[in-house]
Amino acid sequence: MSLSELARQVEALLFLSPDPLPLAALCEVTEESPGAVQRALAELGERHGPEAGLEVAEIAGGFTLRTRADLAEVLDRLRERPPDDRVSPAALETLAVVAYLEPISRPQISRLRGVSVDSTVVSLVERGLLEEAGRPQDGGAMRYRTTRAFQERFGLRRAGDLPPLESFELSGPEAERVRLQLVRAGHLAEDAADPYASAPENDGPDTPDGG
Amino acid sequence: MLAPGMPSPDALQQPIALDLFEGPFDLLLTLVLRDEVELLDLPLVEVVTASLGENARERWDTDTAGELIVLLAAMAELKARRMLGEPGEEEPDPDTLEAREALAARLVAYAPFQRAAAWLAEQGRDNTGPRYRRMPLEGVAPPPPPEEDPRQLQAAMARMLIAPPAPSLAHLTNRRVSMPAALARLQTALSRARAVSFDAFTDGMEPLEEAIALMAALELARRGEVTLAQAEPFGDIAITGSRL
Repeated sequence: MSLSELARQVEALLFLSPDPLPLAALCEVTEESPGAVQRALAELGERHGPEAGLEVAEIAGGFTLRTRADLAEVLDRLRERPPDDRVSPAALETLAVVAYLEPISRPQISRLRGVSVDSTVVSLVERGLLEEAGRPQDGGAMRYRTTRAFQERFGLRRAGDLPPLESFELSGPEAERVRLQLVRAGHLAEDAADPYASAPENDGPDTPDGG
Repeated sequence: MLAPGMPSPDALQQPIALDLFEGPFDLLLTLVLRDEVELLDLPLVEVVTASLGENARERWDTDTAGELIVLLAAMAELKARRMLGEPGEEEPDPDTLEAREALAARLVAYAPFQRAAAWLAEQGRDNTGPRYRRMPLEGVAPPPPPEEDPRQLQAAMARMLIAPPAPSLAHLTNRRVSMPAALARLQTALSRARAVSFDAFTDGMEPLEEAIALMAALELARRGEVTLAQAEPFGDIAITGSRL
């Protein structure tokens, strides 16, 4: 199978760029329309099938050539993965809060999680999974957002490429189970009202404004 | 007071005979605490009588009797609590209930983020395989180009290592104003005239000298050597000698 000239160009660009290339950038460099570039990307996808060593992936806001997952073992003999690769459950929860509500400040995350997250946020910033997103215009604490490295790490195509938060909400019976656990632990009276029904809708931080 | 000649008895080991229980006093206490003897059915008057005995004054010294009384009082309190209901069985106050409800609501409201974290963990596991081209680290200086002349770098460093000239302090003055000298000047002025105008006395002085002169006047006033009078705020101060 021979590639079209545009597909060859796109393949070479993806190979050369250390960062994922957005569709707009590919269009600009190749001076082609988005439709033509998308067709070229599809052509490349067929070329780099499961039998190939590389694959075309849409990740972190652009397209990139990356190695196939099944080759990780042999690749890591050449290049060792960073030792601090593991993300703790507390850090994962902090990342989840930021991913859904970014930009968000540390006090807002702390209020939602019920614990201080200062050291967790600092660690995530040092690891490149979070970055500063500026302060609000009316002043206040520094806000944070997820990074491209975060999107790469968790296989997200772009910022906000997440399942709807509503899909993770507890169902009525699940909320009832939480209530029963609290009753058993002595934190809640037997006849207490269903907490799911009384959960405040806007108890958390401000929702993102689409930025 | 222990009766003379009697061996020192152990108050907790003394036998008690009741309709409900017969045995040592400490066993009764243990059974009550284990709920194996129903405290509500236990006649406390009989327990008190049996434990202290008819001739308590003669049988027990003060310390032992005190211990028994404390134990009996605790038992009475326990019985009273059971008759009135345990505190734990009471309805919590509204604030506590509200706080508990808020806790439950918070847990339920936060649950989606916990689940999202679990989803992220799964995503992370699924994406451990692919490798990306290594990107240059931000903030790390690139290696110098090979054609760079080290002597140029040396010259640049040498310029940076030259100490800058010492800054000039010519514009700074080292004025010293002596309080004793200010006192002496004011006393001299007062020796010539009975009253001195502060404005006239400090005419031509620097602000620091003027401040010291004011402190000198206040010091003389404190000593009772002068009296100070000011007709209006920020007006002139008349310094009048107290001694002729």
